[in-house]
Amino acid sequence: MLPIFKSIPTHMDYKGQKLAEQIFQGIILISAVIGFVYGLIIEQFGWTVYIVLAGFALSCVLTLPPWPMYRRNPLSWQPALSEPSGESSQKPQESLKKKKHK
Amino acid sequence: MNTVLSRANSLFAFSLSVMAALTFGCFITTAFKDRRVPVDIHVSKVMLKNVDDFTGPRERSDLGFITFDVSPIFDWNVKQLFLYLSAEYSTKSNSLNQVVLWDKIVLRGENTKLNLRDMKSKYFFFDDGNGLRANKNITLTLSWNVVPNAGILPLVAGSGHFSLHFPDTYETTKSY
Repeated sequence: MLPIFKSIPTHMDYKGQKLAEQIFQGIILISAVIGFVYGLIIEQFGWTVYIVLAGFALSCVLTLPPWPMYRRNPLSWQPALSEPSGESSQKPQESLKKKKHK
Repeated sequence: MNTVLSRANSLFAFSLSVMAALTFGCFITTAFKDRRVPVDIHVSKVMLKNVDDFTGPRERSDLGFITFDVSPIFDWNVKQLFLYLSAEYSTKSNSLNQVVLWDKIVLRGENTKLNLRDMKSKYFFFDDGNGLRANKNITLTLSWNVVPNAGILPLVAGSGHFSLHFPDTYETTKSY
């Protein structure tokens, strides 16, 4: 079971994560305001809870699965080095060590 | 926010915080509301008997029967109301006596305009002595507990009183 779950891609890129957080916070806050006003008008707090729960479900659907709109800005990694030769593999380590000493 | 579980966690936590804030808002909007309503109480029949009080000391105590008519009108946004009718009077031995004669629970959604007629008192109106006979100032007050969804539990007294006086003589029962 676990390898099957791990094979499902669930990650978002950084901008997608920010967008997802803004989306669910906005949806829940808007539904909270709507539910509060509606519950205040009809004087039933239960409807406020229901409307907030509806906003919760909507934002679950919108932000839990990694929809394509959250993966539009993938990180541009450096291209993998094709031939790991002795010199090329030692040079980055030297530069790292120099940075650490600074 | 990288995996489904972390997103679900933050979403749930945020929703709970918003819900708590909404509950506090619900409390704030109703905290300073005046929940007193005019109450109209009438007593149609007063009986006074001299019987044995088997619940207390074996002395003869005064027992009154009161029939009354309560018609409060109230608006609310709470779960339930607990109405109770209490009698206040003073005797020689005690300067303040309070006896609950009747109570009623009104839930949400029930009819809030109560017009109760010919109600009998639910609980016995015992005095712990003989202070009821010829007592000229017994004040009936309808009070209620407001049971809210969130917040404090206010205890409100209705703004209508009724004062009655008991007769000077006991009723004699011939059944025994």
